[in-house]
Amino acid sequence: MRVTPDEKRFTAIYDACRQHVWAYAVSRAGRQVADEVVSETFAVAWRRLADVPDPALPWLLGVARNVLRDSHRADVRRESFAYEVGRWTARPAGDIAEDVAERLAVLRAMATLPEGDREILILVAWHGLAPRDAAKVVGCSPAALRVRLHRARRRLLRAADTAPGETGQGETGQREKQQGARPGTRPQVGIIGEEMS
Amino acid sequence: MNDVLRTLSEARPDELNPDAPVGHDVRRMELARAMTAGDDTAARGKRRRVRPVWALGLAGAVAAGALVAVTVIPAGTGPAGDPGGGQAVDAKTVLLAAAERADGQPDTVRAYWYRVLVASHTHTVGSAGARYTIVTREREESWMPSEPGVKAWSRHRYLGAKPATEADAEAWRRAGSPRRFEVALPIAPGSKIAKPRTVFEAGAGPVRSVRGTPMVDGNKIYWIGHNVTMREVQSLPADPERLKAELMRWYDGRGTEGGGPARAEMWLYNVAQGLVMELPVRPRVRAAAFRMLAGLPSVKSLGRVRDPRGRAGDAVAVDRKTPGGVVRHRMIIDSSTGTALATENIMLNPKDGKGGPAGRAMSSVVTLTAEWTDSGPR
Repeated sequence: MRVTPDEKRFTAIYDACRQHVWAYAVSRAGRQVADEVVSETFAVAWRRLADVPDPALPWLLGVARNVLRDSHRADVRRESFAYEVGRWTARPAGDIAEDVAERLAVLRAMATLPEGDREILILVAWHGLAPRDAAKVVGCSPAALRVRLHRARRRLLRAADTAPGETGQGETGQREKQQGARPGTRPQVGIIGEEMS
Repeated sequence: MNDVLRTLSEARPDELNPDAPVGHDVRRMELARAMTAGDDTAARGKRRRVRPVWALGLAGAVAAGALVAVTVIPAGTGPAGDPGGGQAVDAKTVLLAAAERADGQPDTVRAYWYRVLVASHTHTVGSAGARYTIVTREREESWMPSEPGVKAWSRHRYLGAKPATEADAEAWRRAGSPRRFEVALPIAPGSKIAKPRTVFEAGAGPVRSVRGTPMVDGNKIYWIGHNVTMREVQSLPADPERLKAELMRWYDGRGTEGGGPARAEMWLYNVAQGLVMELPVRPRVRAAAFRMLAGLPSVKSLGRVRDPRGRAGDAVAVDRKTPGGVVRHRMIIDSSTGTALATENIMLNPKDGKGGPAGRAMSSVVTLTAEWTDSGPR
């Protein structure tokens, strides 16, 4: 009854990366799908353990990304993500501190961006990945990643600056359609699948 | 909004913090699931909910919340009332008697270890001010091959959800008798991080069969503090001291279910409980596990009780402090055969009244059948 070196390594990878994978899946397509994505991702990692590089995180997030793409259609991802953002930004009405309001505004603004923008922003801002590692996740060159990050950041800034203040606050589960209809925000366009591919 | 990226990183919801701990139960389940998923099932991209047989004791997708949610039978009073009353025999006597009986069971290994169980979980649902408790139940049937290379099978059915007690049923009716219940599952007792909301249907679901992958050596199908193969389960030592030493090799200072450090004894109790309830160990090893439990000072006797199926047995338990309150890990033993009938996790004194009424079972697993058989699923 020994733990094999493979098991030991796999367990260490799991311990270091599991919450990242889960959080990534939640921030891409909502929590309804996150557990399944985690399961699937680590099943792949175990099966292909010899291929898993060190550090493993970019590779794992790349797998999770493929699992998401293969198992959930873009419109399903978008809808469950919209629901997720509704949860994040739901706050009781009333006075909130300015920095909190600013964060909520940025979250809502992010939700209006195309999925490709969102993904890169999340990898960098929430997972702390260097552009080089984020590039591995999405499968492009580091140079291309930097350009895409730059553009995504600019679009986020624009969306946050033009987003209406407190409308929709406290309401969960709003569809992106409705968000798109709000004045000043970018309309939701059906290019999400394409951008991701 | 000068640096929008910085604001964005500050805006990350707390629950997505990658440094948040993973519930030990979730960890155990996911690791085992990953390492038992075969080539033909992994990464196919379809929606798939394969539950490895080792996870049976955890029962279900809700396993993550198992410790927080619970059975609904107040401690010590089964649905039919507890039999016997009388003076409780001490735990040591109960466990040694069980060991004696287990020792006498035939030591025959057949083609499959066949096990049928019903697991239940309680959940608090409803809106603020009108909360009530429901119980969900699931039935699992599994055939684990004794030989490597043979497929494992399991059959699973969600049996539905219903209000736990008459008072809960009243609250449920006031709420409009909903047929679906939405539950947010905390990761661990006392944890602020809620897992994905899960919806339970009132009605039973279809029977789902899972044909597993071939069991080759190296495939871990059971868990005794770490994942083990059928062969490893079969070759556990039959001496209580050696068994204890073997199990303790995997003790890492934590509890099996998260929620902070647990004493080694608590850990040993939980692992041994799983071993006698679930695992196809040789009868002498089961006897050794009972003897080992008899030697643990914190195991107490609770006297004659009924299990959630109404079967009479002798209860032993260990109480454990968790952030959510004291949880009693209770096991009901049929001392006449040396088998474990059921295990329950009971919330003795929920903190902040969050875990529901005191004495409520949060979860239970009842073994209906656990035996070697030559016939596979029909």
